Amino acid sequence: MQKKSYWCLLIAGIWLAAPIDVLAQRKRAAAFEHVHSLAMDSSGHALFLGAHTGLFRSVDRGRTWNKVSLSTKHAHLDVMDIAADPKDPKTIYIGTHEAGVFKSSDGGLTWKQANSGLGGMDIHGLAIAPNAPSKLHAAVREKGDGVYRTTDSGAKWVRVDDGPQGEIKVLRSVNISTGMGGIFLYAGTSMGLQRSPDCF
Amino acid sequence: MGGLPANRTVNGFAVNPQDPKIMFAAMRDGLFKSTDAGTSWKSIGNELKNLAAVTIDSKKPNEMFVSTINGTIYVSGDAGVNWEKQQ
Repeated sequence: MQKKSYWCLLIAGIWLAAPIDVLAQRKRAAAFEHVHSLAMDSSGHALFLGAHTGLFRSVDRGRTWNKVSLSTKHAHLDVMDIAADPKDPKTIYIGTHEAGVFKSSDGGLTWKQANSGLGGMDIHGLAIAPNAPSKLHAAVREKGDGVYRTTDSGAKWVRVDDGPQGEIKVLRSVNISTGMGGIFLYAGTSMGLQRSPDCF
Repeated sequence: MGGLPANRTVNGFAVNPQDPKIMFAAMRDGLFKSTDAGTSWKSIGNELKNLAAVTIDSKKPNEMFVSTINGTIYVSGDAGVNWEKQQ
């Protein structure tokens, strides 16, 4: 009798677990709507996810997520790309579709816009140099489109290039020497993967 | 960039911080790995599709995360050979 009960419980458990998993996935998909980016802070503690509905943070390796409060001024922010400082786990940058670049210096608790010099607010890619984290590149679309560079951790941006062809989805600085004094920028785009020296 | 599906969107991209010639591209078609700075690519993680993003834990570069476009997370502890759906 006990054996029979055990098997009934086991089968019921399996039967219930499958729909719960599906429900959890549906709930997550509804919360994010559309994912754009993932980044781990440099301590390996917090995983950040950028989505159409904002920025999310997980400290259990992606099992559960909490929405990060970014700005009281903006009701909706579409987080397109995330750049985690490779040396300072407290410093995180995000690029948004509506309001440019935001920077956090306290691990994501508080955020400030860092847009001085940017020609537009629609950021589609954000890359931090692994060997010099005060240098970042931002890909701007629509108004003021092009690639912008900061060498002072976002205090001031300067337009440096037209950028690759196609719509940029992700931008990363890669620590491979160009032989010309710089490293390479890789861009994931609607026309495939493209790369160019970052010393333009 | 031989080996990546031609004229297709690359949604996500990540580089091994200890060996930057090892890189990963996340696409709707799946996950692709290069060990020669992007000259050639191979499809890995055959169960992975509709990917939006990929990242690598800089402290433990064998640990990787990908997200599908709708937010399903997969984790690998062996540099992308095996993947497990995060529950």
